[in-house]
Amino acid sequence: MIQFKALLLKEYRETFRDKRALMVALGFAFFAPIMIMGMAKIMIEKLVDEPPVYVKFTGAEFAPKLMLHLADNNLLNFVDVPEDEKTTWEKRNIAIEIPADYAKNMAEGKPIKLHLQADFTDKAVKPPVRRINSAIREFSLSIGYKRLLLRGVDVRLLNPVKLVEQDTAEPNATFILISMMLGIYLMLAAFMSGLSVAIDSSAGERERNVLEMLLCQPVSTLKIVLAKLIGASTIAFIGVVLVLVLTSLSVGFVDLTKIGATFSLDMSTAIFLMLLLLPICFLASACQLFVAFQTKSFKEAQSTVGMLIGIPAFIPFVVSMMDDRPEWLDWLPISGQSLIIESVFKGVDVNWLAVFATSGVTIAITAALVLALAKKLKSEKVVMALS
Amino acid sequence: MIEVNNLHKSFIDKKDKKNTVKALDGLSFTAKDGEITGILGPNGAGKTTCLRTLYGLLAADEGHVIIDGINVAEDPLAARAKLGIFPDKFGLYERLTAYEQIDYFASIHGMSGASKKQAIAQVLKDLDMEDLAHRKTVGFSQGQRMKVTLAQSLVHQPQNFVLDEPTRGLDVMSTRVLRNHLAKFKAKGHCILFSSHVMQEVAALCDRVIIVANGKLAAQGTPQELCDLAGEEHLEDAFVKLIGSDEGVAA
Repeated sequence: MIQFKALLLKEYRETFRDKRALMVALGFAFFAPIMIMGMAKIMIEKLVDEPPVYVKFTGAEFAPKLMLHLADNNLLNFVDVPEDEKTTWEKRNIAIEIPADYAKNMAEGKPIKLHLQADFTDKAVKPPVRRINSAIREFSLSIGYKRLLLRGVDVRLLNPVKLVEQDTAEPNATFILISMMLGIYLMLAAFMSGLSVAIDSSAGERERNVLEMLLCQPVSTLKIVLAKLIGASTIAFIGVVLVLVLTSLSVGFVDLTKIGATFSLDMSTAIFLMLLLLPICFLASACQLFVAFQTKSFKEAQSTVGMLIGIPAFIPFVVSMMDDRPEWLDWLPISGQSLIIESVFKGVDVNWLAVFATSGVTIAITAALVLALAKKLKSEKVVMALS
Repeated sequence: MIEVNNLHKSFIDKKDKKNTVKALDGLSFTAKDGEITGILGPNGAGKTTCLRTLYGLLAADEGHVIIDGINVAEDPLAARAKLGIFPDKFGLYERLTAYEQIDYFASIHGMSGASKKQAIAQVLKDLDMEDLAHRKTVGFSQGQRMKVTLAQSLVHQPQNFVLDEPTRGLDVMSTRVLRNHLAKFKAKGHCILFSSHVMQEVAALCDRVIIVANGKLAAQGTPQELCDLAGEEHLEDAFVKLIGSDEGVAA
């Protein structure tokens, strides 16, 4: 116990004194709220119904009824643009020209040509143009229908086939995307945060010639591995906790009610997620140590272990895309946890059997990795790689 | 006391069986308590392999090492507890202070509480490094690093002390500190095993010299005996002669 305490104390001392590596490790967690806030903002902007569009009209005075119809659809005259949006719409530069003979041609039933000018390749211009298009078509059709009606023609003849659209998306469903991102981010945080610490305490120590000294001491390799594992996974866990805390703080700044979504990360949910991800932190660090100890150099360790990070990002994506999820996914590490996180965010009841199963499997794999690594550190191959 | 008995060790290349290196080929010697025993040998003679077998890092194909009656292969942890090791590359934990490093190794050897504190204070005093103790070791000079390594390997007062080329890269002052310390340690009845390339040092310091070549014992004796055996005046000439000719193996 004296030995283990000393080993662990030394790991913590080294980790927390390496300020730069620590900042890099935990910096990842700081990006989470920024990303989630940004995503939410963009989504809200897209989802809020028909933000005002400002169009530069020429000849607006010739068609007051058309202007009224457009205004009903929140397509407004550039003259009325608020000061803070002026430059945006100046840049988008959407212009409609209404001819002076509009009223005359309308009265005579002659076709009228309105000219719409805009840069159609500009992404930001497309949705306003689409809305102008449909608004004017609607206006034009309503006049056309009235003309036909006056002549005794049933306007329904014009629409033999009609498509009825029903949007089944619940207002909440769009926001699930953001919660899914948070789930993946949490998984990544578990793998990313402890990464530099794991590499430094394994391949780094070998490169600094202190590992050989340690292996010569009367201490079992299992204790060495466990101390390093706890050291690295502590940082990983701090990363996860930071993501959760910062996200729940920052979500308060985004008005999600605008899109009818609610996202609350209350205390009990956050604690549940932390407990759920704790075994993942250990697994991540164990994988990283296992790989890093077997590489030939610090650099090789960095690149090889870097590839490990792809796994946690990849698995939840694949799982969320799958339509028919086989049951064993509930049991595996990473996929199991990501499914549970998904149901937590969806507000579905958590399958407790799956929680215990996936945690159990994760811990078992971690233990196997630790034991294998402890055995490997006694092997001649590792010793020969020291010099 | 360290007894090395008929050690054999080959490194087999799994892909190419012909590429097998025989690092140790029946090496035997004894390092007695109260003596400084020097291991001399050209590069690649098997010194490092021998020492690593002695630490229990490598398993010998044949033969065994016994440290104070404990067979290293059978109980490496107990054997290591009897050893103080000064490795050839003394790396330090650069984010720890010298005191913390020494404390770390003392704890690994199972020391705790007041006795640990006292042992650390003693070793710091012996090596005259109290002013260094609470500085982080990053940026330490080679001599200061040597002191830290020496302190951390001696803090638990091991009966047996193994040094792998300890004077490499040290200036005269640091070498003297080390030499004085070894002499004091020897006087207390400890067993010291010392591998080196520097002839003067071996000649000045060692009671007995073991010359290793090609994984075998080439010759052993006091520096004077070796010179007499080879018929040379200086140990360096004797060394070259002894490893170069088969006649030397007779001893």
